[in-house]
Amino acid sequence: MSADTFTVGKTEIRKDAWDKVTGAAAYVDDVALPGMAVGMVVRSPHHHARIMQIDARAARDVPGVLAVVTAADVPGSKTFGPLAQDRPALAVDEVRHLGEPVAIVVAESKTAARRGVKVVAVEYEPLPAVFDPTAALEPGAPQVHPGGNVVTRYDVAGGDVEAGFAEADVVLEHVFEVPRIAPGYMEPEASTAEWNADGTLTVWVSSQKPFEDRHQIASVLGLPQDAVRVRSAVIGGAFGGKEDSGLAILAALAAWAVKGTVRLVNNRHESFLAHPKRHPARLFYKLGAKRDGTLVALQATVHMDTGAYSSYGPAVGGLLTEMVPGAYRIPHVRVETLVVYTNSPFSGAMRGFGSPQAHFATESLIDMLAGELGMDPLELRRKNVLRPGDRFFTGAPLDQTASSLPVILEHVAAARARLAAIPAPAGRVAGVGFALAVQSMGLGYRVPDDSTNRLEWAPDGTIRVYVGAPDLGQGLATAAEQIAAEALGIPYGDVRALAVDTALSPNGGVTCASCMTYVVGNSVMMAARQLIETLLAYAADKLSVPRAALAYRRGTVVLPSGETIPVAEFASRAADEDVPLRAEATFSFPYPEATTPKHLPVGMPHGMFVFGGQVARVEVDRDLGTVEVTDLVAIHDVGQAINRAGVEGQIEGGVATGIGYALYESVRLKDNGQWVDGFTEYLLPTAEDVPARIESVIVEVPEASGPHGVKGVGEITLVPTAPAITNAVCDATGVRVTAIPITSEAIARAADPA
Amino acid sequence: MKPITVTLIVNEQPRTITTEPNRTLLYALRDDLGLYGAKDACGGEGECGACTVILDGEPVNSCLVLAGQADGCHVETIEGLAAGGQLHPLQRAFVETGAVQCGFCTPGAILAAKALLDRLPDPTDDQIREALSGNLCRCTGYTKMIAAVRRAAEDMSHVR
Amino acid sequence: MQEIDFYRADSLDDLYRLLAETGGRVIAGGTDALVQMQRDAFPAAVVIDASRIADLRYIREDGDRIEIGALTTYADLLASSLVRRAAPSLIAAAETVGAPQTRARGTLGGNIANASPAGDTLPPLLALDASVTLSSARGVRILPLGEVLRGPRQTCLEPGEIIASIAFRRLPQPSGSAFIKLSNRRGMSIAVVSVAAALALDAAGRIAEGRVALGAVAPTAVRSPAAESVLAGEVPGAETFRRAARAALDDIAPIGDVRATAAYRREAAARLVVRALNGAWEHAGGRAGA
Repeated sequence: MSADTFTVGKTEIRKDAWDKVTGAAAYVDDVALPGMAVGMVVRSPHHHARIMQIDARAARDVPGVLAVVTAADVPGSKTFGPLAQDRPALAVDEVRHLGEPVAIVVAESKTAARRGVKVVAVEYEPLPAVFDPTAALEPGAPQVHPGGNVVTRYDVAGGDVEAGFAEADVVLEHVFEVPRIAPGYMEPEASTAEWNADGTLTVWVSSQKPFEDRHQIASVLGLPQDAVRVRSAVIGGAFGGKEDSGLAILAALAAWAVKGTVRLVNNRHESFLAHPKRHPARLFYKLGAKRDGTLVALQATVHMDTGAYSSYGPAVGGLLTEMVPGAYRIPHVRVETLVVYTNSPFSGAMRGFGSPQAHFATESLIDMLAGELGMDPLELRRKNVLRPGDRFFTGAPLDQTASSLPVILEHVAAARARLAAIPAPAGRVAGVGFALAVQSMGLGYRVPDDSTNRLEWAPDGTIRVYVGAPDLGQGLATAAEQIAAEALGIPYGDVRALAVDTALSPNGGVTCASCMTYVVGNSVMMAARQLIETLLAYAADKLSVPRAALAYRRGTVVLPSGETIPVAEFASRAADEDVPLRAEATFSFPYPEATTPKHLPVGMPHGMFVFGGQVARVEVDRDLGTVEVTDLVAIHDVGQAINRAGVEGQIEGGVATGIGYALYESVRLKDNGQWVDGFTEYLLPTAEDVPARIESVIVEVPEASGPHGVKGVGEITLVPTAPAITNAVCDATGVRVTAIPITSEAIARAADPA
Repeated sequence: MKPITVTLIVNEQPRTITTEPNRTLLYALRDDLGLYGAKDACGGEGECGACTVILDGEPVNSCLVLAGQADGCHVETIEGLAAGGQLHPLQRAFVETGAVQCGFCTPGAILAAKALLDRLPDPTDDQIREALSGNLCRCTGYTKMIAAVRRAAEDMSHVR
Repeated sequence: MQEIDFYRADSLDDLYRLLAETGGRVIAGGTDALVQMQRDAFPAAVVIDASRIADLRYIREDGDRIEIGALTTYADLLASSLVRRAAPSLIAAAETVGAPQTRARGTLGGNIANASPAGDTLPPLLALDASVTLSSARGVRILPLGEVLRGPRQTCLEPGEIIASIAFRRLPQPSGSAFIKLSNRRGMSIAVVSVAAALALDAAGRIAEGRVALGAVAPTAVRSPAAESVLAGEVPGAETFRRAARAALDDIAPIGDVRATAAYRREAAARLVVRALNGAWEHAGGRAGA
């Protein structure tokens, strides 16, 4: 904790924890509204097919079925999407992936809805399908959309990559593959929509972006924005996957169709098939270095599978492109990234947003280069890491934040030495590996990135924080409360954040991009300064003294005499007069005009960065090829921890997700033509699959523009994990894994080719 | 489907419901009794533990028990754990250790841990990990959940 | 969730009557059956719950014979010092079934009735040469477990028939048993390959009887007669075990699926046979081979 703060930096207890340990916390599916009907979705059994006919008569005849909604019924825009409007709310004429919504059955009970779903007769004419992004780029590949399979192509260069390779003494070329993974939040998507008598809609969501949901719902329903009110329930995890309005739109359509209240809840299979994943990718890398280890050139071509709809794919492709060189200064870089349509379940935002894919390749290749040069991979990194004053290959400048890298490297060195000293048990070999990572904060240049939040003094003198962006479970509300409490000098216990309600909350932006504590915190601190002004002006008026005669101190108004009056006296009076004491402020993510390069596509470059490193120890059963991660030390520069346990929680959870990425998880197509779409086959790490204690090392190199120096921590915590593990496996066995998740077979086969 | 009548002794209170024969204990608690603490995260396949309740003293996935199978049985749910408004040491430890993030897995994990501590008051870390191995969590990486169970065990040993 | 009708049997007589009247299918702990219902794949419209029939939940010792009621849960097995002494391989298998929540509900009889090729307790029971008592209103019949398991999710149970108990004889001392399971994840694991072994040694320290059974490498869990004939009369040790492992490959026919390829299953099966035999030998008081 900083010496001059009283709550910032402390592990305050998050206020929603009490409801969460008693079962009282109300997620969408935990609130039964009067007269509520059930919606269930008829989904495509085909990967790609033309819809010849939908016959819903039998379904409508099922007792208890209230309505069947198809694309023909959609009153507004038939399609939607956060970037490109390429995705139908309900399939129009064609389905492009297994599980795509075709119709909604609304019924009085789950049983009636299930019966209805079974008898909606949809006639399909199957079409050829493609599932691999490289294959989808071939001439003659099945076309997923009329405009061709390339959604977006980036070609970004810094320096002259040909000249760079000409200087290189050593050139390595390798292809890496990373899987499609599910966000794996425990709460599947759910939404309840209520059609109000005045022709407006109220929609409860489990979402990272209620304001964007409002926009999308209004568009598909053909309603004005202010006719749609979106309210955030308690959210059971999101990790990027709940940057998606799909299910909320279906709930709204269902409620509109029956002019009533309808709840839709995805089961886990539906969640796998019809909600965003992390993009699988094939990464073709070529890296050149001098004999002394100096990196000189990196060229990458990346094929990214966005699936049947683009979702945030183009933006993910952009960030992936920027992240390719990782935390290293490489004078000549060129990256070509192709975001490609296939008939896979679509991918979109997920924790890391392109960075995990790029880093798996980069951090593997750096270790491979170290092997090639006979250098210690740590020395190789020390020689090449970015330094303050460097520029990324995009031209984005790097300031003092990079001074954390040497600190991180020293922690890495210490952890590596400690873990390497642990002997392997009989029958196993052990190895230690590590990786570094960089992650951007914010949405990127020229993408609107504002966060407005409001503080209000309740009549009892406590503070309500209208945080305009939802807490996904990671603790945004707690961070906002601590920052507000600190700014106003009142106890943490006297500050309470409210859930987002588009009718009451300001627009705090989408909860994403490792920047919420940063942007919300800044906005809250700005609002706090204004709130004090508002209070003092009001008090001066009531006390008939000049404003300048009053001061504010820790929840009181200080009179010239030194006498203090509690804020509650003014707040209650103001509330009685219906002029509550409140202030709101907008913080815009900064992109300094003078230094931000202007030649890049929209969304590039990002301008603020965080760094981290992780060290993994693994034990490998060489004969069977099984890998266990026994220890993991995660070192992250967070600028300033607002809530220490909260930061550790972000790190520990990120690491576990990274372990899943390395060892277990892949939404892939099975031989029977079905996707891995449930937790029986899609293996999340359990408590027995992660080290009993994931060790966090919190480095604090403050960000000058951050509230109390805060940087982002949400995403980077899983970025170095997978390459740290595969590097450790290589250290243990000599086997270099270039495709994750690691399979036991790949290790066993390579360790014993006979 | 012929409706069935089932009496569940939920947190010591007998509750009789008439419900559909394919109703699981999970949805009997949620839809028939309005007890929403047990969650459905895996779609009724017993793969996540979010629906864990204690049935006649044993931790079970309530999604894999038909309501009719539990007729006459004692069901302990998260709602019953804070006796007389006093949080159970596990609940307190989860709150104070920072083991709660999104909270969706929390009720199930706490009940799985309670079943462990009821049987084994002073578990090792490995025993805690095994006891929680059926409760998936995507937020916490389990570190603080394991620490919370350890802490609750210590707190409870002081009481004894 | 599949639509069903539900009946609960509180006694064996009740169960036979309900089976006759409804033509329904019995469930016990439900840890497999409910998953099938969730996927609309339970093969009956009527469900008869047997889980509360106390007469089918017991662990008994009668001389060298151990008999386990079909409704004995995995948790019951783990709590039984008798089973722990007599059949450590069965304990080792029970420990790896799902998670504590599964072990509290799932039953030994259910594991057999479900007849999954990967059923965890099946290889140790096969290696213990277990027999299964099937009973119906018509009477009982006792069959070796290997004859009960007919194919993936297929048993020899006839209409109206239930699994009543499982029994095996302790091997004469010195003897030992072991079970090893390979899976893709440590927690809540499903077998990629599993192997159980049991060894009884003669006075000279040779293998009087050796049994090997494998899971997830054939349409059912299987014994390996080829491996067992290699073992009989041999001196236990690395060389013998490796030969047995090679022989075992003649008795399996693994498939490739989402969890592993067929080729990897074969390689892993050979390694696990050696390890399981080593484990059994060690348990019998021998020294582990390389």
